[in-house]
Amino acid sequence: MEKLVMIKYGELSTKKDNINFFLKQLKDNVSFALKQMDVNIKFDKGRMFITLNKDNFDEVCKALKKIFGIYEFDVAYKLDSKNEEDIKKSVLELVKKKEFTTFKVQTKRSDKKFPKESMEFNRLMGGVILKSIPNVRVDVHNPELLVNIEIRSDGVYVYFNSEKGIGGYPVGVAGKGLLMLSGGIDSPVAGYLAIKRGVKLECLYFESPPHTSIEAKNKVIELAKKLAVYNNNIKLHIINFTEIQTTIYQNCPHEYLITIMRRMMYRISEIVARNNRCKIIVNGESIGQVASQTLTSMNVINETVKIPVIRPVACFDKLEIIDIAKKIDTYETSILPYEDCCTIFVPDHPVINPEFAKAREYEKLLPYEDLIYKAIKGHEIINITKDDKVEFSDLL
Amino acid sequence: MIYLDYSATTPVSFDVLESYNKATKDYIGNANSIHALGVKSKILLNSATKQICDLLGILEEELVYTSGATEANNMALKGVALAYQNRGKNIVVSKLEHPSIYKICEFLETQGFEITYVDNDSDGLIDFEDLKNKIRSDTILVSICAVNSEVGVRQPLKTLRQIIKKENPDTIFHSDITQAIGKVTVNLHDIDLASMSSHKIFGPKGIGFLYKNSKVHLIPLIHGSGKFNELRSGTPPLPLIVAFSKAMRIALNDIENKEMYVRKLNSRLCESFSSYEGIKINKTKYSIPHIINISLDNVKAETLIHALEEEEIYLSTNTACSSGDLSTAVMALYNDKHRALSTIRISLSYVTTDEEVSKFLNIFKDKYKMLNDLMKSKEE
Repeated sequence: MEKLVMIKYGELSTKKDNINFFLKQLKDNVSFALKQMDVNIKFDKGRMFITLNKDNFDEVCKALKKIFGIYEFDVAYKLDSKNEEDIKKSVLELVKKKEFTTFKVQTKRSDKKFPKESMEFNRLMGGVILKSIPNVRVDVHNPELLVNIEIRSDGVYVYFNSEKGIGGYPVGVAGKGLLMLSGGIDSPVAGYLAIKRGVKLECLYFESPPHTSIEAKNKVIELAKKLAVYNNNIKLHIINFTEIQTTIYQNCPHEYLITIMRRMMYRISEIVARNNRCKIIVNGESIGQVASQTLTSMNVINETVKIPVIRPVACFDKLEIIDIAKKIDTYETSILPYEDCCTIFVPDHPVINPEFAKAREYEKLLPYEDLIYKAIKGHEIINITKDDKVEFSDLL
Repeated sequence: MIYLDYSATTPVSFDVLESYNKATKDYIGNANSIHALGVKSKILLNSATKQICDLLGILEEELVYTSGATEANNMALKGVALAYQNRGKNIVVSKLEHPSIYKICEFLETQGFEITYVDNDSDGLIDFEDLKNKIRSDTILVSICAVNSEVGVRQPLKTLRQIIKKENPDTIFHSDITQAIGKVTVNLHDIDLASMSSHKIFGPKGIGFLYKNSKVHLIPLIHGSGKFNELRSGTPPLPLIVAFSKAMRIALNDIENKEMYVRKLNSRLCESFSSYEGIKINKTKYSIPHIINISLDNVKAETLIHALEEEEIYLSTNTACSSGDLSTAVMALYNDKHRALSTIRISLSYVTTDEEVSKFLNIFKDKYKMLNDLMKSKEE
């Protein structure tokens, strides 16, 4: 028999005519994630199979836990024969290696040509195990060992307790989106949730040197790296925002600083998104969290762009967002205390309910179109790979 | 030159020194500074630390750099004593520790702490039953070295931990792993606190660390800004840390095969020593192959060492840190004063060659014979 990894799709299997599009993307993503692990991947509409040329199941399973589109995966054994007696013998051989006192056999028969029905085979196999292994009993509700037998047209697969994947859609099936990545807690989580629905992300970061430091920028690169794990690498656009920010500061009433700054950021994001064929903007705004995230503010800020703006954490509580941030390992990086461009030039009393007319009027005080053009032209782009290459290989 | 004192210290390997020099020249910023040079240093510092932690399977916040194992031992023992003295004032140590542990214990005794010594059997293994009996509700710390520096006896840390935690789950388990790391596999999850230094694994002198399980709370001995580390303030010695990290990577690479190789050298030496009438090999089944300790019946160890030195062969009497006294470890093992009086430690490394061993054995034979004959003629 052959040991392999079997992947179950979950939500993907509800797709009909275009299922192959999803599965092909999933296969590409899996092979990208496992590219250094020497594996072969095959798939059909029900399952994906990964055969390993080395005994590195742990490494492979660890990587699979970070790929969207996988509902569940199992280390399975493909039996050599579909003959009933051979199946019994092989299953028993595998079960004997396990330690347990209670068990349950669960057969799935997708190959209807197989002579025994699932229920009948459960009983038969259960009987064989009971007879051959002393001091074990059947527990159909909470078995210590779940013996799964899948009888498929291409063979019989046996596996025990399964591992949950992270679900979602394969990255890339939805197209591309541009994440406004600030360095705070919310935006990486928003990005993660967008990736989960199959959006392939690029990131945009606004820096304001010397008001923001290299450490702040490195922090964002670090966050992008963490997202890159789920996103198959990531492209990070870095916009120098200093001139725009200082011009706003010098020309506009201070209670409108944040409103106008956000309007500029939105405009720049839309242009960068369009230039890079991103169909949406994603950001970490959460309703009511700060002055610029009240519903009125969102209206006044959002009117500057036509592109859809998706706010995955809009309706999450801060604590819920923090939970996800911890899960995806961005929290500790996010809370590092460096100034970002939203925390400098903060007025004492930012307007909570800005007015469209005022925002438009104040904006006219600055030549923002030229400034935006200048900021975008020749902006810095960093390609971030998830490969955890040893930096300083010469020194360490 | 034949160097056979690798357990006292090791020469810095060429690659490690290269890293040290490069880090010194190219990374001049203080890793605590916020400007670009500081950040550049900080990133290198973090990568070096991460490499060490990944190699040892620990978290970055669980590692505190020190100037070496002695400081780490101080940080561990005094730090625990200060932090947990309200819970109890009893500390249990083995009879096979490095002298620094005993000196710290002596100091702690003057501060009202009670030190209990746990017995070992004739193979050097900690007496499990005795350990069980000596752990009390007010025992705040047990310190047992992973590998003894004089006779190389290796302790089963996992079993010791189980015994300690079963008797008193609040007792903290410290181990000096200096002589173990880079020679045999050590699992830091078996211990709450572990001390080690870089110069035993072909790294530079002046750097080491204390591993501190995140559940353990220590009172720092050195106070300062706390920017680099709350337990050990001071400007991070970046070149030392970088060199240490590299030395660690090289030391842990292919460790099983290196051990096998040293085992072969060890067999050759032991075979040869066992043919001498006046020599006893202080070796038990728990000794690691890197350390060979022998007792000389007639010849004074110190004289023999100086005699070998004339031929550029370098080794130690018991340990570099405790020369001149009785070997505490040999005493603990055999309870034989004469045997513990004149001991020599030959310590090997995976860089020791077969030729060096052969040459050493030849010269040893001559020198030993010369001194032995001299002593005999004196008696007559």
